[in-house]
Amino acid sequence: MAPQVVIAPLLIALVTAILSLLLRRFPRAQRAVSLTGALAYLGGVAWLATAVARESILVYQVSAWQAPLGITLVADALSTFMLGLTAVVSLAAVVFSARYMSEYGQQLSYHALYHLLVVGVTGSFLTGDIFNLFVWFEVMLLSSYVLVVFYSGPEHTRAALQYTVLNLLGSAVMLLAIGGLYSTTGTLNMADMARRLANPAEFGIDPVPVLGIAAILFAVFALKAGIVPFQFWVPAAYRAAPAPVSAMLAGVTKKVGIYAIVRLYFTVFAAASLPAGLSLPGFAGDSFLAFFGPILFVMAAASIVLGGVGAVSRVDLDGVLAYSSIGQIGFVVLPLAIAATVPGVRELGIAAALIYALNHGLAKAMLFLASGTIREAIGTVRFEYLGGLARRTPVLSVGFFLGALALVGIPPLSGFFGKLLVFRTAADAGAVGGQGATLALALALGGAILTVAYFSRAWNEGFWGTQSEAVRTATYSPTLVAVVISLAATLVIVGVGFDPVMRAARAAAGAAVDRGTYVESVLPGGSP
Amino acid sequence: MTQFVLAGVLGLLFAFGTFLVLRRDIVRVVWGVTIIAQSANVYLVTMGGLAGTVPIVGHGPPADPSSVTDPLVQALVLTAIVIGFGTTAFALVLTYRVYEEHGTIDLDELGETGGEV
Repeated sequence: MAPQVVIAPLLIALVTAILSLLLRRFPRAQRAVSLTGALAYLGGVAWLATAVARESILVYQVSAWQAPLGITLVADALSTFMLGLTAVVSLAAVVFSARYMSEYGQQLSYHALYHLLVVGVTGSFLTGDIFNLFVWFEVMLLSSYVLVVFYSGPEHTRAALQYTVLNLLGSAVMLLAIGGLYSTTGTLNMADMARRLANPAEFGIDPVPVLGIAAILFAVFALKAGIVPFQFWVPAAYRAAPAPVSAMLAGVTKKVGIYAIVRLYFTVFAAASLPAGLSLPGFAGDSFLAFFGPILFVMAAASIVLGGVGAVSRVDLDGVLAYSSIGQIGFVVLPLAIAATVPGVRELGIAAALIYALNHGLAKAMLFLASGTIREAIGTVRFEYLGGLARRTPVLSVGFFLGALALVGIPPLSGFFGKLLVFRTAADAGAVGGQGATLALALALGGAILTVAYFSRAWNEGFWGTQSEAVRTATYSPTLVAVVISLAATLVIVGVGFDPVMRAARAAAGAAVDRGTYVESVLPGGSP
Repeated sequence: MTQFVLAGVLGLLFAFGTFLVLRRDIVRVVWGVTIIAQSANVYLVTMGGLAGTVPIVGHGPPADPSSVTDPLVQALVLTAIVIGFGTTAFALVLTYRVYEEHGTIDLDELGETGGEV
């Protein structure tokens, strides 16, 4: 298989974006191109995934400039796992937008921006170079700024201002960290950096400043992922953006931060170890991951608690979903924290985080789309105007209910396995003598109870109870409900046919920790 | 000597940018972000080392190849500057839009007048 297949998803999304920009005067043609592009993207990702399944890792050196000099794109099981999530959520969101966005909104290049967002996400998943990661982040963020402010009402401009300023500061900090990494390690290529960090004496690298710079970079990824204490932009931005964009932001772009943490900290920086003499107060061990483990743990704990408590007290559906998204990202980070601290459960922990990310991506995207359907029909999602939706539109309510159950973690939905694996990681870590495993278990349990609490409240206030006038007289678009239900069906399918998903996640976790293969594939003959 | 002066100037620029970001006036916040982004660019240039000569390849190899400053960081900075232009333009337009919607660019007032979605 030619390595060019690596850039197939990237090119498909880019061509779709350009074509939909050119067709902005012809809304029907634009919609058709956009939908075809999303389908083709799914096909491209599937093609890439089969190629990666056969050859385990594919490397594309742009213009045949060999790494570490040229730009490298790398597709392995971890990248294709995340791309698969992107393709599914993106297709659902595009179908939803085709019906949901007004013609005027489409003329304002909605579809072009949307596909550029997908381009940025795809590039971030595929790049093998830290500076290119920055560039793809910017591609993704620039389109998301405009999509967040899309309605440009008072609330939207305010949310977008906060979102934009924070992310611009994040980008500046990322640039600082990248400059520092280049200066200390002498390379920007991830594989080359891993090779050099594994052998610091040979390349004259002092690992201590690298740790500090890695910590600065970490703050940027945590900001993108919306982990506490970098979560404050999340609720306003998610509520301001159009529903399909919120679905993409919560379902996919958040996961880019998680992916970057897994890729850089578990594949690249894990190669390095600190000199034995340097003992940091409160941290055990001399590996980089042992340093980030406790930090991740505290951030995960704070996210679960703050997101859960915040979601319980919201007055509208979008607010509950946005805060819930902070809490759920805590569940993604928690197994990562355990994986970083306890080497014995590293692969299991990463697999658990990926499964949970997949579950959250699908379920939260579906819930935001459900909320968008309700908003389109009624005009608001504030609980005081809702009530009795379950009797008025049972199909949509079943979808919402399934999504809520998936996030709570009820079998046979995908969320059950996500939660189970998080618990299993904590229990296994405890079994091999990891510290704080009991605390992690208690935390996961408390978080699960909070999830039950805020979703039962949302369900009681929105879907049960007396029907309000607005709910009774509203008409619900069958297309939008169909999209919601198809995503809900995906949740059930993933849960029932969990074996292949688990195998994919296992393969992805294996690829994340298998540094030797990664380095050897990108830099033939360069492996230490 | 150059590196000490540059380090001092960078520190001042970052401090000034941070000071502006913490103002109430949105235009100043945007200026602050721009200054921080530009100082990050300058910082990036210094990462390639300052001792060498200009990285221009003339006819034939340079007399001493090791004397050339690393050109990679300059390529990186060019990319970062272009991205910075785009984001600054967007932030300024957004500021104007915020003024149109809220009638103010005072962040304190903005916190009070925001309506519900």
